[in-house]
Amino acid sequence: MDSTDLTRFERRARVGYEFARLRRAFVGFAPLLVVIAVAVALARHPSATAAFGLAAFLVGLVLLWYGRDVRRAVLPGVTAGLVPLVLALCANHVHHCTGDGCMMLCVPACAVGGLAAGLAVAGIGNQRRAGVAFWLPASGLALLTGAMGCSCVGYAGVVGLGLGYAAGLVPGALRRIFARTS
Amino acid sequence: MEQADEERLNALMARLAEGDRSVFHEVFKRLWGPTHRLCASLLKNDADAADAAQEAMAKILQRASDYDPTRAAAPWALAIAAWECRTLRRKLTRRREVPDLDSDQRAGEDTQEELVERDLVQSALSAMGELSPTDRDTLMATFLDESPPVAGATFRKRRARALGRLRDAWKRLYGLD
Repeated sequence: MDSTDLTRFERRARVGYEFARLRRAFVGFAPLLVVIAVAVALARHPSATAAFGLAAFLVGLVLLWYGRDVRRAVLPGVTAGLVPLVLALCANHVHHCTGDGCMMLCVPACAVGGLAAGLAVAGIGNQRRAGVAFWLPASGLALLTGAMGCSCVGYAGVVGLGLGYAAGLVPGALRRIFARTS
Repeated sequence: MEQADEERLNALMARLAEGDRSVFHEVFKRLWGPTHRLCASLLKNDADAADAAQEAMAKILQRASDYDPTRAAAPWALAIAAWECRTLRRKLTRRREVPDLDSDQRAGEDTQEELVERDLVQSALSAMGELSPTDRDTLMATFLDESPPVAGATFRKRRARALGRLRDAWKRLYGLD
């Protein structure tokens, strides 16, 4: 086998390696499809839930396929995002979601869920002394997963989730900054 | 393969398993030679060896993400290559079969496969023959899934040492470095 053939074969092997990683990522992340299906079935606006679910799935798939440090953000991100998702879906089924009712229950549920998710991600990030490669993907996945439930109240729910999440991150971020300066 | 090379390969393989694509070329370069040599020694035919080595390398790299960094990379990769050689040999044997073969010919092919099989077993036994009786007993107990004659931790240490010596013996006998 001459060097040209070997180079060509190496390129083919590289494609095989990438496809194998993609397949592995798909299998590894497939359980989220079940979560998405359940969320879509329970949601009052299935199209928005499905859109956020698809986005979360694609982001997670890419992160797992890419590997390295960002891969480690997938599980904490999705798990943290399940908190606002479950809270929002429950709140949505406790009452008939119209106007003020949503503002009374669903938006606070999203905000509280977001806060819990933010605290969880910040806690894990600080524990691992993780960098941007953890914080960004974990936050993205937590927000997308949570938004599957919070989108039922429209933008207000998603904004509530985002604000709650940001508030949850603040203590962790402050701890990190102070630890670095001292 | 020197100890330092083995350690380097283990480290590279672990990085590739994590998704570090920058080491892909080096892993490929380091594994191609031993894989090709193993296939050549098992198949004893240049064309078949090249085919099997390519298939094996493709499989090894496809499974790179499954690589367990606590294990040595070279034996893991060569085990995949050896399996690939066995598969190719079976395929070739089957392809040579024609529907109107008379029973003598069919028996001949079965015998050929048996000979190949026996050749492989003989090679493994020759390598085992280089080991001490304790090492041989330890490996046999491992492969036959027998209950170990000594305590778990001691047995694990013995097994690790025996496997290391078997690897050295195999390298010495068949020149797979």
